[in-house]
Amino acid sequence: MENKYNPNDKKNAQSLTVFMENSILEFLNERKVSLTHLIFQSKDAAELVLLKKNDRLWVQFSNGEFCDFPFYEKNITFLLSKYRSLDSDPSPSAESLESFTRTVEIIQKKIFSSISLNPNDNVKDLWDEIIKKTNTISHESHSLRSLVEKILDVPFLQSFESSLIYFHLKGQTKAEMIGTRWRGENVNNFLEVKEFNSFFNSIKKSKIKTFNSGDFPKINLPFNGCFLAKEILSKKFSLIAITSRHDFLPYSEKEISLFETCIDLLEPHFDRLIDQEFSDQKISDLRICLKDFPLPLRVRDQQTGTMFINDLFRSELQEKDIFYNKKISGPFSLDLYDSDELRHYAFDLFHFQRISLLGELLNTLRHELSNPLFGLKLGAQIFNTLETKDDDRMIMLEIEKNVNRCQQIIENFSNLYQIQTDKKSTNLKQMIDESLLLSKSETRQLSKHVNYQNDSNQLDLNVPQIFVVQILFNLIINAAQAMRTQDTRRELWIDVDCDESFATVIVSDNGPGISDEKISQIFKPFFTTKSQGTGLGLVLSRNLALKMDGNLEFIKNDSQGAKFKLSLPI
Amino acid sequence: MIKTILVIEDEILIQQSLKKLLERKGFSVDVSASGKQAITMILGHNYDRIICDLMLQDISGFDVIEESKKKYSVEEIGQKFVIMTAYNSPQVLSKASSYNCKLLNKPFDNLEEAIRLMTV
Repeated sequence: MENKYNPNDKKNAQSLTVFMENSILEFLNERKVSLTHLIFQSKDAAELVLLKKNDRLWVQFSNGEFCDFPFYEKNITFLLSKYRSLDSDPSPSAESLESFTRTVEIIQKKIFSSISLNPNDNVKDLWDEIIKKTNTISHESHSLRSLVEKILDVPFLQSFESSLIYFHLKGQTKAEMIGTRWRGENVNNFLEVKEFNSFFNSIKKSKIKTFNSGDFPKINLPFNGCFLAKEILSKKFSLIAITSRHDFLPYSEKEISLFETCIDLLEPHFDRLIDQEFSDQKISDLRICLKDFPLPLRVRDQQTGTMFINDLFRSELQEKDIFYNKKISGPFSLDLYDSDELRHYAFDLFHFQRISLLGELLNTLRHELSNPLFGLKLGAQIFNTLETKDDDRMIMLEIEKNVNRCQQIIENFSNLYQIQTDKKSTNLKQMIDESLLLSKSETRQLSKHVNYQNDSNQLDLNVPQIFVVQILFNLIINAAQAMRTQDTRRELWIDVDCDESFATVIVSDNGPGISDEKISQIFKPFFTTKSQGTGLGLVLSRNLALKMDGNLEFIKNDSQGAKFKLSLPI
Repeated sequence: MIKTILVIEDEILIQQSLKKLLERKGFSVDVSASGKQAITMILGHNYDRIICDLMLQDISGFDVIEESKKKYSVEEIGQKFVIMTAYNSPQVLSKASSYNCKLLNKPFDNLEEAIRLMTV
């Protein structure tokens, strides 16, 4: 294979002739590893040949020895730097060849001896055993927790009592710790990101990778004693793996190196399991959310086709009603189920959407109108202080008065929509007055009679003002519109009364009334007798009344006209 | 003793009304509807009082005050400026009070009272 890297032909005392596969070269270049002391040679002429195979680094030394490591930048750079520092002879002599061989031995020792507790063990076998074990545990582990627990099954970590990981997913507000102590006792904890980061940095900076629990008082480690730690920084998360024997004896170099190798080998599995766990978490969160979602629905994952339905959907399905699909683009398709229940909620949503929109609109209007109105008022006031004629003065006073009225109307509307659903003790009479004021233009030609019985004009109710005003406004407008074409005298009565538990407001008119066959329809959505009506007014009004633990009903009466009764709890 | 007043207000009706009102009380009044123009005027003249609306079309009244720091000390700013605003949110109030100047809410509840506050 040709090496495309620009060869450095200045051979100096520190240089090393290597052959690297292009994939390794790219890997190092991406990480901006300095390669200035290397001389790139063909495979046959290089002192060191680096190949990448199955995510492992295969190294062939010029003396024919061969070894492999997990493929990490650290391993490669370590290897290269060791070579550089020891192989200082510019021209290969017998002596330097000897030193070269020595280097090979040192490197091999460094890497292999650390995992061999018994010098008689076959190094290669041990290495294989560790790789095999980490492979098994990573395949046996279907959750992050079980992987962390199984780290303790790795040979040479069998005298350890605790295995934990602290990890922080990018974008999360907390870091989490999971693991086991005393081999079997599950531990779980959360950590502020700030604390986690400082912990992570201390681990990262440490060269010996062995610590004492007392060094980190803020971390609240679930054991006392020395521990080994190794950090992993990936694109999605940062992680600290920790293991401890729960004692204060220092760890040997072998153990440290073994633990590091083991965590290095497990890195891709941490990655996979964290990924899996958090997508599982997302789905289970979604399920919990949707379980009590107030609409019947089912969700289909478009990739796997798995589907779950919520309780409402299930019960609706059993009732075998009409059915329609509503597809929402995205990874899930959402099917909404049509039913009365759905309509009920849809209207609530519609209602609140409308109210919040109105609220926003009013707020804007208030701010936008207040300045010009203020200007008008100020101008009128100033003209009035000039020596003007009496009739001019009258006009100016009238302008001022009208501006005040505009301001008052805006103020009233804003107050009405501002409180939204806040329950606040509100005077019933005040709410009725408000409704009449709002419907003033529609009811201009009506003679209105408001009667209060049993001191009901003094009554304060603990209900959202906006709900009551909305209901009464609806009833008054309905009455006014029903009587619009009426030639006879148009009358509207509002009779207020109360007993111990309920206040009642009866709104009646002397209009055409509602025919018997229509009475059963009037509280159904989209039923309307008006050409411009939405058919939602009475449905919304009744929903609002029910929400306040009250009710809205039609009262049959012998006399002419329609009669509605709103009851509100006291 | 206050003699010259600058009124910075982009609502022309308010601006002219105030000008007229203050002139009739005997003050010499300049007006500006733009914040940037007002800054030039402040740096070029010596006004005894500057009445400044917060919501201008180009920059905010706070920007005008900040720019005026080139000429006036913090203490002088507190004495010279009167802030006028229709948006009396807590943020605005706390920022205004940090300059230590007088604050007038629009619309004025009492015209005479407002004029008095502007001119003493």
